[in-house]
Amino acid sequence: MSSTDTTPAASDDASGDGTDAGGDDSLGRRALARLVDASIFERLGIAVASTLLALLIGLVVVAAAGYDPVLFIDNMVYGIFGTYSVADLFGTNNRLAQTLRPTVTFIITGVAVAIAFRAGVFNIGVQGQFVVGGFAAAATIVSIAGSLPGGAAGGAMVIVVATIAAIAAGGLYAMLPGILKAYAGANEIITTIMLNFVASGVVFWLLDAYFRPGGTFFVRTERFPEHVSFPQPIFEGTSFSVVGLAIALLTAGVVFWIMERTRFGYDLVTSGHQADAASYSGVDAKRTIVATMTFSGMVAGLAGAVYVIMVLSYFSDPATLPTFGFDAIAVSLLAANNPLGVIPAGLLFGGLESGGNFVNQSSDVPRQLIDGVVGLVVLFVAAPELFRMAGKRMDVGGDEQ
Amino acid sequence: MSSEDSERGSQSDDGERSTADVVSDAVYDNRWRLFGVVATLLGFVFVAALLTDVPLTKLVDIEFWLGLPYGDVFTVGFAERALQAAMPIALAAIGGLYAEKSGVFNIGLEGFMIFGAVNAAAVSWILAGGSASQLDLWIALVATVLLGLIYTAVFAVLTIRYKADQIVAGLAVWFLGLGFGPFTAVVMWGGVSSPPLSSLDTVTVPVLAEIPVLGRLLFDANPLLWVTIAIVLASYVVLYRTRYGYWIQAAGENPEALDTAGVSVRRVRYAAVMFSGAVAALAGGMLSIGIGNGFTGTGTTMVDGRGWIAIVAYLFGNYNPILTALASLLFGAAQMLRIQLGTIGVDLPSSLLEQFPYVTVIVVLTLVGATRVPSAVGESYESEE
Repeated sequence: MSSTDTTPAASDDASGDGTDAGGDDSLGRRALARLVDASIFERLGIAVASTLLALLIGLVVVAAAGYDPVLFIDNMVYGIFGTYSVADLFGTNNRLAQTLRPTVTFIITGVAVAIAFRAGVFNIGVQGQFVVGGFAAAATIVSIAGSLPGGAAGGAMVIVVATIAAIAAGGLYAMLPGILKAYAGANEIITTIMLNFVASGVVFWLLDAYFRPGGTFFVRTERFPEHVSFPQPIFEGTSFSVVGLAIALLTAGVVFWIMERTRFGYDLVTSGHQADAASYSGVDAKRTIVATMTFSGMVAGLAGAVYVIMVLSYFSDPATLPTFGFDAIAVSLLAANNPLGVIPAGLLFGGLESGGNFVNQSSDVPRQLIDGVVGLVVLFVAAPELFRMAGKRMDVGGDEQ
Repeated sequence: MSSEDSERGSQSDDGERSTADVVSDAVYDNRWRLFGVVATLLGFVFVAALLTDVPLTKLVDIEFWLGLPYGDVFTVGFAERALQAAMPIALAAIGGLYAEKSGVFNIGLEGFMIFGAVNAAAVSWILAGGSASQLDLWIALVATVLLGLIYTAVFAVLTIRYKADQIVAGLAVWFLGLGFGPFTAVVMWGGVSSPPLSSLDTVTVPVLAEIPVLGRLLFDANPLLWVTIAIVLASYVVLYRTRYGYWIQAAGENPEALDTAGVSVRRVRYAAVMFSGAVAALAGGMLSIGIGNGFTGTGTTMVDGRGWIAIVAYLFGNYNPILTALASLLFGAAQMLRIQLGTIGVDLPSSLLEQFPYVTVIVVLTLVGATRVPSAVGESYESEE
């Protein structure tokens, strides 16, 4: 074993033109490669086991903090489904819409993270790109909606333009740390986290200085006109639209296709996992990093647009927005960074979010508990060995490769 | 580590070449890095100028830059505030560099700091409510460090024994802090932040405090400043002047050799990682009850990226504890500069000025570029036994 420990370091030196590929870079790639090494069943098992163990610890914390864990489970289940019977699931209740609404954002931001992680780049800045994208969409809508015709067609036009603006803004904002990593060797984990803070501060200032309707106390844009919204054939009156869900599913599908079936995607993935092979076959490693970050940021920007159009209908202080971009990391890791796997993982997180909100309303268990549970999920996903060893001890098997 | 270093090495061997050649070659080799720095700086200045309606001609006006009252910016009060802001960053950074030197990338510093901040506030509240005595506060800080040791012991078991992915596990610690930190606050105080709590008093050393400037900075100060300075100096001595320090370095650079010499790589790594958690916890406690008055859990909590800045501080300080402390001072100064700019009449909105430390970090990281990370970082090590 000890002899293999030296090989990764040695292969760093051998890696062709990787002048800026510092140790931490290859460290990240190795780590990500290890996550993907597992077989599909093993990954699924790890995801399920991580989630269950995290929820179990969450329950223990609930009990330890002096709340009733049985009531907590009861509230969670009702919060997610709005019913205890399958027959009523699509009935008159709107709870399911409360679950599907955050699911849409989790899926799109999760796909954004998955693109970067799949290509071996740690984009922790999805939150910032989501904020910048959402702001760009909102700024576009309040600026142009008045001068375009109303009605469904005018609304659709505004939405398309706003979404393009959001995708461009998110992409550009992610391109910066991509360039800094590729051409100056700046660790993208740190630059993207710093840019999250910067995005939040600068957007707050822009809202405060230029977009606040006169005389209002809150730092936010004016509300979007009624016609700038997604149609709601079902779940009317909630802030969930099947159009949003369709965009999320389509995004996951298209990104999966790009990553698995196109030359561009192939280059991204191989440079993430077999940097040497990629550079021998003529892939420019630096340009791939910039392309990866930009692509990932574009999807994060799209998430921002869908979120403001479907859920908010205005834009407010970014510090008050939910941290979808962080939870998206957990979503993507649970899905083993597979864009299609992000769909069930996003649904799970949508359930946690909506259940957590319901628990917060109907009991005094703080909703921050769910954020903690998300942290636990990520922690356990990071340590698959934990479950492998536990599996071996119980002689379940199935984890031999 | 990569070809870049070897190129530099070959240049220094070549005695025939003039200094100008060497410099121009260095510039050429690092052209992209320089380009990155300049582009980042110009980009931010340009955007800031556009956003704040400052005419761009003013930015290239030398008279304007020369005319600013710089003397009023760099005051003793500024140095005092910068030192105070640097303390938590420096402590966390020292912890991070020990862990990384031993071969474990502790990217969870930010999370451990959040736990430290909330635990210190909670313990002082349990001891004495809102009116803790100085003794209570010290007890709370010690308890915080012990709790930090327990948390990092779990983290160390996961990363060292169970070979958890160090980056993902570190991110998880951050998320855990962002969740359970405010959760603890809600359970304790009914809201994500604590009510105002007492903090450590400034201690004035008689006579020494009379020394001009230095007296006010060092001997009329928060006692945690001395703790920080002591930890910085001690960690320098331990790392470079003791056998244990060499073991730590060997655990990160060449674990096989350490193993062959009969020292347990795992045990050295456990010690280094737990030390990093203990000082990160102290850094967090410093924020909530050492310097500040209570825990704030809104948004990204009161730690607000200091743990991430700490990582850049030790990269910039090239893993040397003293240089790392100086780098922390730079970031502390960046945090406090906005107060100074306000006093000389540079009138920028605070929501923009607050971004200054984060932008500084990006620029520094771009300047530093890829660093020479200990070669075995991120790799779990299994001995042959």
